[in-house]
Amino acid sequence: MQKYWKLLLSQVKLDTAYSLRFWAGSITSVIRLVMLYAFWQAVYENRTTIVDISLEQMLTYSVLAVLLSSYIAGAGTQLAAGVLNGDVAIELMRPYDYINKLISLDLGSKLTSIIRETLPMLVVALLFIGIHAPHSWEHALLFLFSTLTGILIGAQIDLVVGLLSFWTINISGLRILRASFLLFFSGTLVPITLFPQWLQIVCTYMPFPSMVFVPVSIYTGQIQGADIYPAIGLQLFWLLVCWMVSRLFWLLAKRRITIFGG
Amino acid sequence: MIEVRGLSKHYRIAKRKQGLLGAIQGLFIRKYTSKKAVDDISFTIASGEVVGYIGSNGAGKSTTIKMLSGILTPTSGDVLVNGIVPYRERQKNAKKIGAVFGQRTQLMWDLAPRESYDLLKHIYQIPEAIYQKNLHEMTEKLQLHSLLDIPVRQLSLGQKMRCEFVAAFLHDPAVVYLDEPTIGLDVAAKSRIRSFIKQMNEEKGTTIILTTHDMQDIEELCRRIIIIDNGQILYDGDLHAVKNSFLHEHVISFELDEEKEEILIPGELEGLVTYIPEEGNSNKLTLSFHPETISAAQVIAAVLHHYRVRDVSIAEPKIESIVQEIYERGA
Repeated sequence: MQKYWKLLLSQVKLDTAYSLRFWAGSITSVIRLVMLYAFWQAVYENRTTIVDISLEQMLTYSVLAVLLSSYIAGAGTQLAAGVLNGDVAIELMRPYDYINKLISLDLGSKLTSIIRETLPMLVVALLFIGIHAPHSWEHALLFLFSTLTGILIGAQIDLVVGLLSFWTINISGLRILRASFLLFFSGTLVPITLFPQWLQIVCTYMPFPSMVFVPVSIYTGQIQGADIYPAIGLQLFWLLVCWMVSRLFWLLAKRRITIFGG
Repeated sequence: MIEVRGLSKHYRIAKRKQGLLGAIQGLFIRKYTSKKAVDDISFTIASGEVVGYIGSNGAGKSTTIKMLSGILTPTSGDVLVNGIVPYRERQKNAKKIGAVFGQRTQLMWDLAPRESYDLLKHIYQIPEAIYQKNLHEMTEKLQLHSLLDIPVRQLSLGQKMRCEFVAAFLHDPAVVYLDEPTIGLDVAAKSRIRSFIKQMNEEKGTTIILTTHDMQDIEELCRRIIIIDNGQILYDGDLHAVKNSFLHEHVISFELDEEKEEILIPGELEGLVTYIPEEGNSNKLTLSFHPETISAAQVIAAVLHHYRVRDVSIAEPKIESIVQEIYERGA
């Protein structure tokens, strides 16, 4: 277990190796936040609510969604890069489980992005944009749990996309597809409740809303009361499914390297 | 230490028809051909041996190494490394092996080598005392002290390769695979790395398998070579023996002090050597002979006895030419 912890720390060291890059990341994320603010200000200029959502609610939702969306990626990119340049073979010569290593590294970069992006964004959001507090204490706790689940789902989906590179070698197309699906259907761009009814129904059959929309809506109170637990249940269901799919793909991928030589 | 018996690995390769039509057809129906990357090879390597594993590109070298390190599952045959079947217990095997790939890096590019070593310490679970001792010894041998805290990306290729070697040997592996470890290095860096390999082999008894196209590496490090071509072993044995058995001709050139119309072979060498005529040079006498019928010293003595000689040059048999010949014979 300790080696995975050390791997995680090594990623933190890597991410902080270049101070300019580090601070540029902070500044970029704050700029993103400012743009978000300006956008919704403009949208709300001539009205007070959109589908019963006030400006303050919308800003709270959007800020949290953007914060969360930087955590729903995962180890897939690294994996795909490893497959493309052939490093996977060397990785298999090491006494660790390659997937667990990648997950450790990914957790490491998430740890750095808390400091690099999330904290500065939170400070700016709280001081200047004025996001409101969670709906209630219960909602706050459930939000944290739901967020964690959402992040884990995102990591698994990313891994699956990365694992596909064992068959396709290059996955840049798939990654773009994944990114655009995520942006739209996870609810990062706008709350899913703004979608037309039929699209909302389609969304319930996809794992994406569980990644951002569900946790953030629990925070803001757009999902409340008796609706919360089924929503979290659905999240856990998707997590299980995604986890099983990623493990299956990894088994197949491992078989492919060891039998076909990658 | 390493036992390989009847080892084979067959790949399935998608066969494509030529042209656009063939490419489109290949999207729907594929025909596969089987390629025998490694075909029924057997050898045993004892603990502490340094073995040169030679073959042209695509001969099956990497495939063999991959099976020895557990990355590939053999199609048939047995492999045993340190008493472990590598592809069944990959991680257990991985703890006892090390590797250097001349074309790849195992160090973290953006960080100093020390950080990579520290991470390896945890990955291989090296006890702190042994880690400190090994790190100290190895940096001493490779003269790396001043490089340990510089990010890898700022190191030269030679410096980086020396760092790679520490990474490969840090956990006292029983077997180390070296895949073209001196590729692209200058003479000084090569010789430093060779002497390091020698030292590690002598002091720690590390078994070393070296694949390379650099014959100097082989000649300086290996007593035994295995030559592989088309997935089959062409030769397995002593390096000097292969030199003698595959080498028919030694060649000696004499530059004579005076120009002569016709250069005659000294009488006592008649029938034992062959005269190789040289164009344009009327003062050159070039003789070839088989080392088993007559020694180089005898040839030189005889010529010196008859002529005044300004210069002598002996063409040392190069392992390259032998390997070349073996390849050609094998094909």
